Amino acid sequence: MGAETTAAPPVTSVGSPEPPIGALHQDAGLNQGFVTTTIDAVVGWGRKNSLWPFTFGTACCAIEFMALAGSKYDIARFGAEFIRFSPRHSDLLVVAGTITYKQAPILRRIWEQMMEPRWVLSIGACASTGGFYDCYCTLPGIDEVIPVDVYVAGCPPRPEAYIDAILQLQQKIQDASYMSDRANRSHERIQIG
Amino acid sequence: MTFQPVDLDKVLTPASAEGRKEFETRAFESLRSRFEAALDPRDRWGLTAVVPARHLRGAVRFLRDDPSCLMDLMLDITAIDYLGYPGHDGARFGVVYNLRSQRFGSNRLRLKVWVEEEDPVVPSVHDLYRIADWQERETWDQYGIVFEGHPDLRRLLNHVEFVGHPLRKDYPVRKRQWLSTNDPMILPLEARLEARGFQVLEHVAANSPSVEETDLLGKPAVEKVNYVEKAT
Repeated sequence: MGAETTAAPPVTSVGSPEPPIGALHQDAGLNQGFVTTTIDAVVGWGRKNSLWPFTFGTACCAIEFMALAGSKYDIARFGAEFIRFSPRHSDLLVVAGTITYKQAPILRRIWEQMMEPRWVLSIGACASTGGFYDCYCTLPGIDEVIPVDVYVAGCPPRPEAYIDAILQLQQKIQDASYMSDRANRSHERIQIG
Repeated sequence: MTFQPVDLDKVLTPASAEGRKEFETRAFESLRSRFEAALDPRDRWGLTAVVPARHLRGAVRFLRDDPSCLMDLMLDITAIDYLGYPGHDGARFGVVYNLRSQRFGSNRLRLKVWVEEEDPVVPSVHDLYRIADWQERETWDQYGIVFEGHPDLRRLLNHVEFVGHPLRKDYPVRKRQWLSTNDPMILPLEARLEARGFQVLEHVAANSPSVEETDLLGKPAVEKVNYVEKAT
Protein backbone atom coordinates (compact mmCIF):
# COMPACT_ATOMS: atom_id res chain seq x y z
CA MET A 1 0.00 0.00 0.00
CA GLY A 2 1.24 3.39 -0.84
CA ALA A 3 3.73 2.13 -3.37
CA GLU A 4 1.58 3.14 -6.33
CA THR A 5 1.99 6.87 -6.86
CA THR A 6 1.73 7.41 -10.59
CA ALA A 7 -1.83 6.75 -11.68
CA ALA A 8 -4.89 6.69 -9.53
CA PRO A 9 -6.17 3.09 -9.36
CA PRO A 10 -9.83 2.37 -9.98
CA VAL A 11 -12.08 2.43 -6.99
CA THR A 12 -12.59 -0.99 -5.43
CA SER A 13 -15.57 -2.81 -6.80
CA VAL A 14 -17.65 -2.91 -3.66
CA GLY A 15 -20.91 -3.10 -5.52
CA SER A 16 -19.73 -5.43 -8.26
CA PRO A 17 -21.58 -8.65 -9.19
CA GLU A 18 -21.60 -11.46 -6.66
CA PRO A 19 -18.23 -13.29 -6.72
CA PRO A 20 -18.11 -17.05 -6.19
CA ILE A 21 -18.12 -17.98 -2.55
CA GLY A 22 -14.68 -18.69 -1.24
CA ALA A 23 -12.87 -17.06 -4.14
CA LEU A 24 -10.37 -14.31 -3.53
CA HIS A 25 -11.62 -11.04 -4.95
CA GLN A 26 -8.61 -10.42 -7.08
CA ASP A 27 -9.94 -7.38 -8.86
CA ALA A 28 -10.95 -5.73 -5.62
CA GLY A 29 -7.92 -3.57 -5.12
CA LEU A 30 -5.16 -6.14 -5.57
CA ASN A 31 -2.97 -3.51 -7.17
CA GLN A 32 -3.36 -1.51 -4.00
CA GLY A 33 -1.93 -4.33 -1.95
CA PHE A 34 -5.00 -5.87 -0.36
CA VAL A 35 -7.63 -8.43 -1.16
CA THR A 36 -11.04 -9.07 0.26
CA THR A 37 -12.43 -12.48 1.08
CA THR A 38 -14.33 -14.33 3.80
CA ILE A 39 -12.87 -15.80 6.96
CA ASP A 40 -14.40 -19.18 6.08
CA ALA A 41 -12.57 -19.20 2.75
CA VAL A 42 -9.21 -18.27 4.27
CA VAL A 43 -9.43 -20.70 7.19
CA GLY A 44 -10.60 -23.54 4.95
CA TRP A 45 -7.85 -22.77 2.43
CA GLY A 46 -5.25 -22.83 5.17
CA ARG A 47 -6.52 -26.01 6.76
CA LYS A 48 -6.89 -28.02 3.59
CA ASN A 49 -3.44 -27.13 2.30
CA SER A 50 -1.56 -27.87 5.51
CA LEU A 51 -2.78 -31.32 6.54
CA TRP A 52 -0.34 -33.03 8.86
CA PRO A 53 -0.91 -36.77 8.58
CA PHE A 54 -0.40 -39.26 11.36
CA THR A 55 -0.14 -42.75 9.89
CA PHE A 56 -1.63 -45.64 11.81
CA GLY A 57 -0.22 -48.19 9.39
CA THR A 58 -0.69 -51.86 10.24
CA ALA A 59 -0.58 -53.65 6.88
CA CYS A 60 0.14 -53.37 3.16
CA CYS A 61 -1.94 -50.19 2.82
CA ALA A 62 0.81 -48.44 4.79
CA ILE A 63 3.35 -49.54 2.15
CA GLU A 64 1.20 -47.82 -0.46
CA PHE A 65 1.18 -44.74 1.75
CA MET A 66 4.98 -44.77 1.60
CA ALA A 67 4.74 -44.72 -2.18
CA LEU A 68 2.34 -41.81 -1.88
CA ALA A 69 4.72 -39.90 0.38
CA GLY A 70 7.65 -40.60 -1.93
CA SER A 71 8.76 -38.49 -4.85
CA LYS A 72 6.68 -40.16 -7.54
CA TYR A 73 3.21 -39.47 -6.13
CA ASP A 74 4.36 -36.80 -3.71
CA ILE A 75 1.63 -35.63 -1.35
CA ALA A 76 3.79 -32.56 -0.75
CA ARG A 77 1.90 -31.17 -3.73
CA PHE A 78 -1.19 -31.11 -1.52
CA GLY A 79 0.55 -29.65 1.49
CA ALA A 80 0.40 -32.94 3.38
CA GLU A 81 4.00 -34.07 3.28
CA PHE A 82 4.83 -33.26 6.89
CA ILE A 83 4.13 -36.68 8.40
CA ARG A 84 4.08 -36.53 12.17
CA PHE A 85 4.60 -39.42 14.51
CA SER A 86 2.77 -37.85 17.40
CA PRO A 87 -1.02 -37.56 17.31
CA ARG A 88 -0.73 -34.31 19.21
CA HIS A 89 1.02 -32.67 16.26
CA SER A 90 -1.26 -33.90 13.53
CA ASP A 91 -4.77 -33.30 12.29
CA LEU A 92 -5.20 -36.11 9.75
CA LEU A 93 -5.34 -39.70 11.01
CA VAL A 94 -4.55 -42.13 8.19
CA VAL A 95 -5.67 -45.60 9.25
CA ALA A 96 -4.03 -47.92 6.74
CA GLY A 97 -4.43 -51.59 7.51
CA THR A 98 -6.21 -54.24 9.51
CA ILE A 99 -7.37 -53.22 12.98
CA THR A 100 -7.99 -55.94 15.53
CA TYR A 101 -10.12 -55.84 18.64
CA LYS A 102 -6.87 -55.74 20.58
CA GLN A 103 -5.83 -52.55 18.77
CA ALA A 104 -9.20 -50.83 18.75
CA PRO A 105 -8.84 -49.09 22.15
CA ILE A 106 -5.34 -47.93 21.15
CA LEU A 107 -6.67 -46.42 17.92
CA ARG A 108 -9.45 -44.78 19.87
CA ARG A 109 -7.00 -43.26 22.32
CA ILE A 110 -4.76 -41.94 19.56
CA TRP A 111 -7.75 -40.30 17.93
CA GLU A 112 -8.69 -38.74 21.25
CA GLN A 113 -5.18 -37.34 21.61
CA MET A 114 -5.44 -35.42 18.33
CA MET A 115 -6.51 -31.81 18.58
CA GLU A 116 -9.51 -30.51 16.71
CA PRO A 117 -10.19 -29.98 13.91
CA ARG A 118 -9.17 -33.50 13.00
CA TRP A 119 -10.02 -35.78 10.12
CA VAL A 120 -9.78 -39.52 9.52
CA LEU A 121 -9.01 -41.40 6.33
CA SER A 122 -9.98 -45.08 6.32
CA ILE A 123 -7.63 -46.68 3.82
CA GLY A 124 -8.41 -50.00 2.18
CA ALA A 125 -10.86 -52.83 2.64
CA CYS A 126 -9.65 -53.90 6.10
CA ALA A 127 -9.82 -50.51 7.79
CA SER A 128 -13.17 -49.74 6.17
CA THR A 129 -14.99 -53.04 6.64
CA GLY A 130 -12.62 -55.64 8.09
CA GLY A 131 -12.02 -56.95 4.59
CA PHE A 132 -11.90 -60.70 4.26
CA TYR A 133 -10.88 -61.08 7.89
CA ASP A 134 -14.38 -61.98 9.03
CA CYS A 135 -13.15 -63.64 12.20
CA TYR A 136 -12.96 -63.52 15.97
CA CYS A 137 -10.15 -61.01 16.15
CA THR A 138 -10.67 -58.38 13.44
CA LEU A 139 -12.63 -55.19 13.85
CA PRO A 140 -15.31 -54.93 11.11
CA GLY A 141 -14.38 -51.39 10.16
CA ILE A 142 -12.77 -48.61 12.19
CA ASP A 143 -16.03 -46.64 12.21
CA GLU A 144 -16.97 -48.94 15.08
CA VAL A 145 -14.66 -46.86 17.28
CA ILE A 146 -13.91 -43.53 15.58
CA PRO A 147 -15.72 -41.32 13.04
CA VAL A 148 -14.40 -41.52 9.48
CA ASP A 149 -14.38 -38.74 6.88
CA VAL A 150 -13.31 -40.53 3.70
CA TYR A 151 -13.24 -44.26 2.93
CA VAL A 152 -10.89 -45.58 0.25
CA ALA A 153 -11.64 -48.88 -1.48
CA GLY A 154 -8.91 -51.26 -2.59
CA CYS A 155 -6.73 -54.04 -1.26
CA PRO A 156 -4.48 -52.16 -1.09
CA PRO A 157 -5.57 -48.99 -2.93
CA ARG A 158 -3.18 -47.47 -5.42
CA PRO A 159 -1.57 -44.12 -4.55
CA GLU A 160 -3.94 -42.46 -7.04
CA ALA A 161 -6.82 -43.56 -4.83
CA TYR A 162 -5.08 -41.97 -1.84
CA ILE A 163 -4.71 -38.74 -3.81
CA ASP A 164 -8.37 -38.85 -4.75
CA ALA A 165 -9.25 -39.30 -1.08
CA ILE A 166 -7.08 -36.34 -0.08
CA LEU A 167 -8.70 -34.18 -2.74
CA GLN A 168 -12.16 -35.19 -1.53
CA LEU A 169 -11.12 -34.45 2.03
CA GLN A 170 -9.78 -31.06 0.96
CA GLN A 171 -13.12 -30.28 -0.62
CA LYS A 172 -14.87 -31.30 2.59
CA ILE A 173 -12.56 -29.11 4.66
CA GLN A 174 -13.09 -26.17 2.31
CA ASP A 175 -16.85 -26.62 2.46
CA ALA A 176 -16.92 -26.59 6.26
CA SER A 177 -17.67 -23.22 7.82
CA TYR A 178 -15.29 -22.10 10.54
CA MET A 179 -17.49 -19.16 11.46
CA SER A 180 -20.67 -21.18 11.90
CA ASP A 181 -18.73 -23.77 13.96
CA ARG A 182 -17.49 -20.94 16.14
CA ALA A 183 -20.96 -19.50 16.47
CA ASN A 184 -22.32 -22.91 17.44
CA ARG A 185 -19.65 -23.31 20.09
CA SER A 186 -20.44 -19.87 21.53
CA HIS A 187 -24.10 -20.75 21.50
CA GLU A 188 -23.44 -23.94 23.45
CA ARG A 189 -21.34 -22.01 25.96
CA ILE A 190 -24.08 -19.47 26.47
CA GLN A 191 -26.68 -22.14 26.97
CA ILE A 192 -24.53 -23.99 29.46
CA GLY A 193 -23.55 -20.86 31.35
CA MET B 1 19.97 -74.79 30.23
CA THR B 2 22.59 -73.96 27.65
CA PHE B 3 22.05 -73.22 23.98
CA GLN B 4 24.91 -73.79 21.58
CA PRO B 5 24.94 -71.80 18.37
CA VAL B 6 25.29 -73.91 15.25
CA ASP B 7 28.81 -74.05 13.90
CA LEU B 8 28.34 -74.29 10.18
CA ASP B 9 31.72 -76.01 9.79
CA LYS B 10 30.36 -78.87 11.82
CA VAL B 11 27.25 -79.49 9.77
CA LEU B 12 27.53 -83.21 9.47
CA THR B 13 25.52 -84.11 6.41
CA PRO B 14 23.95 -82.00 3.69
CA ALA B 15 20.29 -82.25 2.87
CA SER B 16 19.23 -85.17 0.70
CA ALA B 17 16.00 -87.07 0.24
CA GLU B 18 17.65 -90.42 0.92
CA GLY B 19 19.40 -89.19 4.03
CA ARG B 20 16.17 -87.76 5.33
CA LYS B 21 14.26 -90.98 4.78
CA GLU B 22 17.01 -92.95 6.45
CA PHE B 23 17.00 -90.59 9.40
CA GLU B 24 13.24 -90.81 9.83
CA THR B 25 13.31 -94.59 9.88
CA ARG B 26 16.20 -94.70 12.32
CA ALA B 27 14.83 -92.04 14.64
CA PHE B 28 11.41 -93.62 14.70
CA GLU B 29 12.89 -97.00 15.62
CA SER B 30 14.61 -95.39 18.59
CA LEU B 31 11.46 -93.59 19.65
CA ARG B 32 9.41 -96.77 19.38
CA SER B 33 11.80 -98.85 21.43
CA ARG B 34 12.42 -96.23 24.12
CA PHE B 35 9.29 -94.06 24.28
CA GLU B 36 6.45 -96.29 23.09
CA ALA B 37 6.03 -94.23 19.92
CA ALA B 38 3.57 -95.24 17.20
CA LEU B 39 3.14 -94.08 13.62
CA ASP B 40 0.34 -91.70 12.80
CA PRO B 41 -1.50 -93.37 9.89
CA ARG B 42 -2.78 -90.01 8.66
CA ASP B 43 0.66 -88.93 7.52
CA ARG B 44 1.26 -88.36 3.85
CA TRP B 45 4.30 -86.12 4.07
CA GLY B 46 7.13 -86.67 6.48
CA LEU B 47 6.81 -88.77 9.57
CA THR B 48 4.81 -88.24 12.72
CA ALA B 49 5.61 -90.20 15.85
CA VAL B 50 2.72 -90.38 18.30
CA VAL B 51 4.09 -90.57 21.83
CA PRO B 52 2.24 -90.82 25.16
CA ALA B 53 2.23 -87.61 27.19
CA ARG B 54 4.33 -89.18 29.95
CA HIS B 55 7.15 -89.85 27.45
CA LEU B 56 6.96 -86.50 25.66
CA ARG B 57 9.78 -84.76 27.51
CA GLY B 58 12.00 -87.81 27.21
CA ALA B 59 11.37 -88.05 23.48
CA VAL B 60 12.02 -84.35 22.90
CA ARG B 61 15.18 -84.47 24.97
CA PHE B 62 16.34 -87.56 23.09
CA LEU B 63 15.76 -85.90 19.69
CA ARG B 64 17.58 -82.78 20.84
CA ASP B 65 20.61 -84.35 22.50
CA ASP B 66 21.20 -87.71 20.84
CA PRO B 67 24.29 -87.48 18.60
CA SER B 68 22.43 -89.19 15.78
CA CYS B 69 19.53 -86.70 15.87
CA LEU B 70 20.69 -83.28 17.17
CA MET B 71 17.38 -81.61 16.37
CA ASP B 72 18.29 -78.19 17.67
CA LEU B 73 15.36 -76.22 16.29
CA MET B 74 11.80 -76.35 17.59
CA LEU B 75 9.97 -75.03 14.55
CA ASP B 76 6.49 -74.98 15.98
CA ILE B 77 4.21 -76.21 18.71
CA THR B 78 0.54 -76.20 17.86
CA ALA B 79 -2.58 -78.27 18.26
CA ILE B 80 -5.27 -79.79 16.07
CA ASP B 81 -8.90 -79.96 17.13
CA TYR B 82 -10.35 -83.19 15.73
CA LEU B 83 -13.92 -82.35 16.76
CA GLY B 84 -16.14 -83.56 13.93
CA TYR B 85 -13.16 -84.80 11.91
CA PRO B 86 -14.37 -87.48 9.44
CA GLY B 87 -13.47 -90.95 10.59
CA HIS B 88 -11.75 -89.79 13.76
CA ASP B 89 -12.32 -91.85 16.87
CA GLY B 90 -10.32 -91.00 19.95
CA ALA B 91 -8.97 -88.03 21.84
CA ARG B 92 -10.16 -84.65 20.69
CA PHE B 93 -6.88 -82.73 20.52
CA GLY B 94 -3.54 -83.59 19.01
CA VAL B 95 -0.64 -81.43 20.21
CA VAL B 96 2.00 -81.32 17.50
CA TYR B 97 5.73 -80.60 17.86
CA ASN B 98 7.68 -79.84 14.68
CA LEU B 99 11.39 -80.39 15.06
CA ARG B 100 14.23 -79.70 12.66
CA SER B 101 17.95 -80.31 12.69
CA GLN B 102 20.40 -77.71 11.49
CA ARG B 103 23.28 -80.14 11.84
CA PHE B 104 21.96 -83.04 9.79
CA GLY B 105 20.85 -81.50 6.56
CA SER B 106 17.18 -80.65 6.71
CA ASN B 107 16.02 -83.57 8.82
CA ARG B 108 12.57 -83.01 10.21
CA LEU B 109 10.31 -84.96 12.51
CA ARG B 110 6.90 -84.40 14.04
CA LEU B 111 5.80 -85.54 17.45
CA LYS B 112 2.15 -85.79 18.33
CA VAL B 113 0.50 -86.21 21.71
CA TRP B 114 -3.18 -87.07 22.03
CA VAL B 115 -5.02 -84.97 24.61
CA GLU B 116 -8.49 -85.58 25.95
CA GLU B 117 -10.97 -82.73 26.08
CA GLU B 118 -11.75 -83.28 29.77
CA ASP B 119 -8.11 -83.05 30.86
CA PRO B 120 -6.11 -81.13 28.21
CA VAL B 121 -2.73 -81.29 29.93
CA VAL B 122 0.69 -82.03 28.45
CA PRO B 123 4.09 -81.48 30.06
CA SER B 124 5.88 -78.27 29.11
CA VAL B 125 9.17 -78.35 27.21
CA HIS B 126 9.99 -74.68 27.77
CA ASP B 127 13.22 -75.62 29.53
CA LEU B 128 14.42 -77.71 26.57
CA TYR B 129 13.73 -75.09 23.89
CA ARG B 130 13.49 -71.44 24.82
CA ILE B 131 11.13 -70.73 21.91
CA ALA B 132 8.69 -73.26 23.33
CA ASP B 133 7.75 -70.67 25.96
CA TRP B 134 5.80 -68.52 23.50
CA GLN B 135 4.71 -71.42 21.33
CA GLU B 136 3.05 -73.06 24.32
CA ARG B 137 1.48 -69.79 25.36
CA GLU B 138 0.01 -69.41 21.90
CA THR B 139 -1.32 -72.97 21.90
CA TRP B 140 -2.91 -72.40 25.27
CA ASP B 141 -4.41 -69.13 24.06
CA GLN B 142 -5.94 -70.55 20.90
CA TYR B 143 -6.80 -74.12 21.91
CA GLY B 144 -6.87 -74.21 25.70
CA ILE B 145 -4.15 -76.84 26.02
CA VAL B 146 -2.56 -76.60 29.46
CA PHE B 147 1.21 -77.04 29.51
CA GLU B 148 2.09 -78.37 32.91
CA GLY B 149 5.17 -76.71 34.38
CA HIS B 150 5.07 -73.65 32.14
CA PRO B 151 6.18 -70.66 34.25
CA ASP B 152 3.96 -68.01 32.67
CA LEU B 153 0.97 -69.46 30.86
CA ARG B 154 -0.75 -66.24 29.75
CA ARG B 155 -2.48 -65.37 26.51
CA LEU B 156 -0.10 -64.43 23.74
CA LEU B 157 -2.22 -63.26 20.79
CA ASN B 158 -5.71 -62.55 22.08
CA HIS B 159 -6.38 -59.66 24.40
CA VAL B 160 -6.56 -59.91 28.17
CA GLU B 161 -10.35 -59.74 28.42
CA PHE B 162 -10.86 -62.52 25.86
CA VAL B 163 -12.91 -65.47 27.10
CA GLY B 164 -12.55 -68.88 25.52
CA HIS B 165 -10.21 -70.37 22.94
CA PRO B 166 -11.07 -69.20 19.44
CA LEU B 167 -9.45 -71.92 17.32
CA ARG B 168 -11.48 -74.66 18.95
CA LYS B 169 -14.03 -75.98 16.51
CA ASP B 170 -16.89 -75.29 18.89
CA TYR B 171 -16.04 -71.59 19.34
CA PRO B 172 -18.96 -69.62 17.84
CA VAL B 173 -17.93 -68.34 14.42
CA ARG B 174 -19.83 -65.07 14.80
CA LYS B 175 -18.70 -64.33 18.34
CA ARG B 176 -16.78 -61.05 18.78
CA GLN B 177 -15.21 -59.79 22.00
CA TRP B 178 -14.44 -56.15 22.79
CA LEU B 179 -11.44 -54.99 24.74
CA SER B 180 -12.21 -52.10 27.08
CA THR B 181 -8.72 -50.93 28.01
CA ASN B 182 -6.04 -49.57 25.73
CA ASP B 183 -3.09 -50.59 27.81
CA PRO B 184 -3.46 -53.74 29.90
CA MET B 185 0.32 -53.90 30.24
CA ILE B 186 0.48 -50.78 32.40
CA LEU B 187 -0.04 -52.49 35.76
CA PRO B 188 2.73 -55.07 35.24
CA LEU B 189 4.89 -52.24 33.90
CA GLU B 190 4.32 -50.19 37.04
CA ALA B 191 5.14 -53.19 39.19
CA ARG B 192 8.40 -53.75 37.29
CA LEU B 193 9.33 -50.08 37.55
CA GLU B 194 8.71 -50.04 41.28
CA ALA B 195 10.75 -53.21 41.69
CA ARG B 196 13.63 -51.42 39.97
CA GLY B 197 13.50 -48.45 42.32
CA PHE B 198 11.31 -46.08 40.32
CA GLN B 199 8.43 -44.31 41.96
CA VAL B 200 5.09 -44.35 40.18
CA LEU B 201 3.53 -40.97 40.86
CA GLU B 202 0.08 -41.53 39.42
CA HIS B 203 -1.46 -44.94 39.25
CA VAL B 204 -3.67 -45.58 36.27
CA ALA B 205 -5.85 -47.95 38.22
CA ALA B 206 -6.72 -45.18 40.67
CA ASN B 207 -7.68 -42.88 37.80
CA SER B 208 -9.46 -45.27 35.49
CA PRO B 209 -12.67 -43.75 34.14
CA SER B 210 -15.99 -44.56 35.65
CA VAL B 211 -18.86 -46.09 33.73
CA GLU B 212 -20.38 -42.63 33.25
CA GLU B 213 -17.33 -41.55 31.28
CA THR B 214 -17.99 -43.92 28.41
CA ASP B 215 -17.57 -42.47 24.96
CA LEU B 216 -20.14 -41.59 22.34
CA LEU B 217 -20.35 -45.15 21.03
CA GLY B 218 -21.26 -46.63 24.39
CA LYS B 219 -17.99 -48.46 24.85
CA PRO B 220 -15.83 -47.83 27.90
CA ALA B 221 -13.62 -44.78 27.65
CA VAL B 222 -9.91 -45.38 27.51
CA GLU B 223 -7.56 -44.85 30.38
CA LYS B 224 -5.90 -41.58 31.20
CA VAL B 225 -2.25 -40.78 30.86
CA ASN B 226 -0.01 -41.43 33.80
CA TYR B 227 3.45 -40.13 34.54
CA VAL B 228 6.39 -42.02 35.88
CA GLU B 229 9.41 -40.33 37.31
CA LYS B 230 12.49 -41.66 38.93
CA ALA B 231 12.61 -41.54 42.70
CA THR B 232 15.02 -39.00 44.11
